[in-house]
Amino acid sequence: MTPTYYLLLSALLFTIGAVGVLIRRNAIVVFMCVELMLNAVNLTLVTFARINGGLDGQVMAFFVMVVAAAEVVVGLAIIMSIFRTRRSASVDDSNLLKY
Amino acid sequence: MTVLEAAHTSLGGFLAQVTPIQAPEIDYAAILPMLIVLGAACVGVLFEAFLPRYQRWSWQVALTLLTLVGAGLALVVYLRDNPQQGVVTLAGVLSVDRPALFLWGTLLVLAFGAVLLIADRSVEPGGAFVSHAAVRPGTIQDRAQAARLGMQTEVFPLTLFALGGMMVFCASNNLLTMFIALEVLSLPLYLMCGLARRRRLLSQEAAVKYFLLGAFASAFFLYGVALLYGYANSVRLRDIAEAAAGTNRSDTLLYAGLGLLVVGLLFKASVGPFHAWTPDVYQGAPTPVTAFMAACTKVAAFGGILRVLTGAFQATSWEWRGVLWGVAIVSMIIGAVLGLTQTDIKRMIAYSSVAHAGFLLVGSIALTGEGLSGTLFYLLAYGFTTVAAFGVVSLVRTADGEATHLSQWAGLAKRSPLVAGVFTFLLLALAGIPLTSGFIGKFVVFSAALKDGMAPLVVVALLASAVAAFFYLRVVVLMYFSEPSPEGPTVSVPGSFTMVAITLGTVITFVLGVWPAFVLDWAGAGGFAFSTT
Amino acid sequence: MLDPYVPLVLMFVLATAFSAVSVLVAPLIGPRRYNRAKLDSYECGIEPSPQPIVGGGRTPVAYYLTAMLFILFDIEMVFLYPFAVTADALGLFGLVEIALFIATVGFAYAYVWRRGGLDWN
Repeated sequence: MTPTYYLLLSALLFTIGAVGVLIRRNAIVVFMCVELMLNAVNLTLVTFARINGGLDGQVMAFFVMVVAAAEVVVGLAIIMSIFRTRRSASVDDSNLLKY
Repeated sequence: MTVLEAAHTSLGGFLAQVTPIQAPEIDYAAILPMLIVLGAACVGVLFEAFLPRYQRWSWQVALTLLTLVGAGLALVVYLRDNPQQGVVTLAGVLSVDRPALFLWGTLLVLAFGAVLLIADRSVEPGGAFVSHAAVRPGTIQDRAQAARLGMQTEVFPLTLFALGGMMVFCASNNLLTMFIALEVLSLPLYLMCGLARRRRLLSQEAAVKYFLLGAFASAFFLYGVALLYGYANSVRLRDIAEAAAGTNRSDTLLYAGLGLLVVGLLFKASVGPFHAWTPDVYQGAPTPVTAFMAACTKVAAFGGILRVLTGAFQATSWEWRGVLWGVAIVSMIIGAVLGLTQTDIKRMIAYSSVAHAGFLLVGSIALTGEGLSGTLFYLLAYGFTTVAAFGVVSLVRTADGEATHLSQWAGLAKRSPLVAGVFTFLLLALAGIPLTSGFIGKFVVFSAALKDGMAPLVVVALLASAVAAFFYLRVVVLMYFSEPSPEGPTVSVPGSFTMVAITLGTVITFVLGVWPAFVLDWAGAGGFAFSTT
Repeated sequence: MLDPYVPLVLMFVLATAFSAVSVLVAPLIGPRRYNRAKLDSYECGIEPSPQPIVGGGRTPVAYYLTAMLFILFDIEMVFLYPFAVTADALGLFGLVEIALFIATVGFAYAYVWRRGGLDWN
């Protein structure tokens, strides 16, 4: 099993996440897609750590995980506050600001 | 011998010889300004935890302002000992070189102005920030909180954290550190955007948009970092540059990595086609936060762009420069043309910032000494003008809060000649009229680009400046030659904080316009340092 | 000769002692409050069924707050594992660094605790 497959898998996951951000309408789902992208990056990092024969990539994955958790907390707080007002988490409903 | 010691020795024998890991050398004097800012942010969190509500505002303001002054002093003191070629410290992660010191100084002074605007409680009674962020907008409790005089003082530690992140970001020689710094500067800003006292729904919407798009962009940045790590087996800028100089490694990884990385950076700098968040967030966020964001984030982001392009990708510049030419042109055109159609003053300044980001990018991709010093000067000049401009925007108000619609600004000169005069001066500086810092900034950036053989780009930039000048002048005409409407806005008398911030920005805009030499010298004092040698 | 196994045995004894003490001492010194929730099967802190009637079957917002705080403080601990593995090699510098790290997490904890983020109601 060559590590290249993992790189392809992670690229695929990243793309799914990116497309998800662009086409989904629910803020929570959009946010989950961003998290998917971050985790795809983690897979890339550990795969490259394996290919390059170092530990740096694995340590970086730790940092990414922690940052992602902090982002979740900030993001959920923001989305929740707007959800309480609007009773909806759809990004289409957030349309006061335009042009 | 205690049990623990016995266990320790036997464990040591079991694991064979432990080779101690060398602790990295840390030049504490060099990174002191950064440590002061981040340490004070932690103290600010403790203030929030342990001080009673009524004492928090005064303690936080005192702490934040003292921190900025202290960090500035530490920077000035350090400047004397700093070697010309800079210091690389913390195992090569941070490099405190002349550009980094210049950017740090710029960030600290700009943040000082922005914090004064944030702390002001006289223009809007109680301050521009909500007193209870958890109260739902539009309810009875919300109207009660709008009338209450307190504010969420968490804004101050958040500002310091964001500032600390910015300082790390523009001094970092390591892409992973850069990513962490990017998040440390972004996460507080997302929150601060959503904390306006008035028009809270707009403010929360701005926060959601900024957050979702910002997280999307950081994911791109991070994937770029991962691909470059795969390419060079390191995330240090110098190692990437060495790997790129003459190997048979996969170019796909290098250019894919570079592309994704730069997209993330351009997003933060709100450069054209990646600017979509800028107008919405500038409009929705509380005006002091917009001032902080517009000035400081731009400084940090362009500091990062300059460092990454110079440090890691100078050797491959022929491959990517054409793309960034295109990006700069798109950014200038989007900013100048869409700025024309705006009816809201904050959105107009947002589009102007997109155009300015294009001009800055012209200087950044020159990759010469003049390009570097020109861009640094431009950042300083633009930052001060912007902070002062948003300070003035926060003064023009109706009973419902700020009057940001352009029609409400009609005839403002008749109501308040001084405010209209100051704002006119700042708009002229943004447009780049002589005797303002904006003119000198554009001049040094464009001449650096010309010397580096980018004449067509400079022609486009000049045309874009001319178009952009039109919409600034439109506001000037509106203020001076229109009749004020009877139910128009009033101009608040600024409290001492806002007064100082606006004066600081205006005076520096003027001084840099007539006597730029000393700052230009400072900006051109030395180049980036990337390795310990 | 059996030296390598001493720490293992020690660890085993410690683990047994800790669990024994926790189980035996808790009923002696803790307050006794019986309610229905305590008799339910354990499901991550929420009652699995029926759904709460208050709020139309929604889980109370405090639950999400606690969950978010849990994620945040839990994930910070990921840095302690690499430290623990190399604690010997890192020496005093590593210890000071990790102490500083825990202190900063402690500041955040103090904020959450003092501002009532941990109060359920």
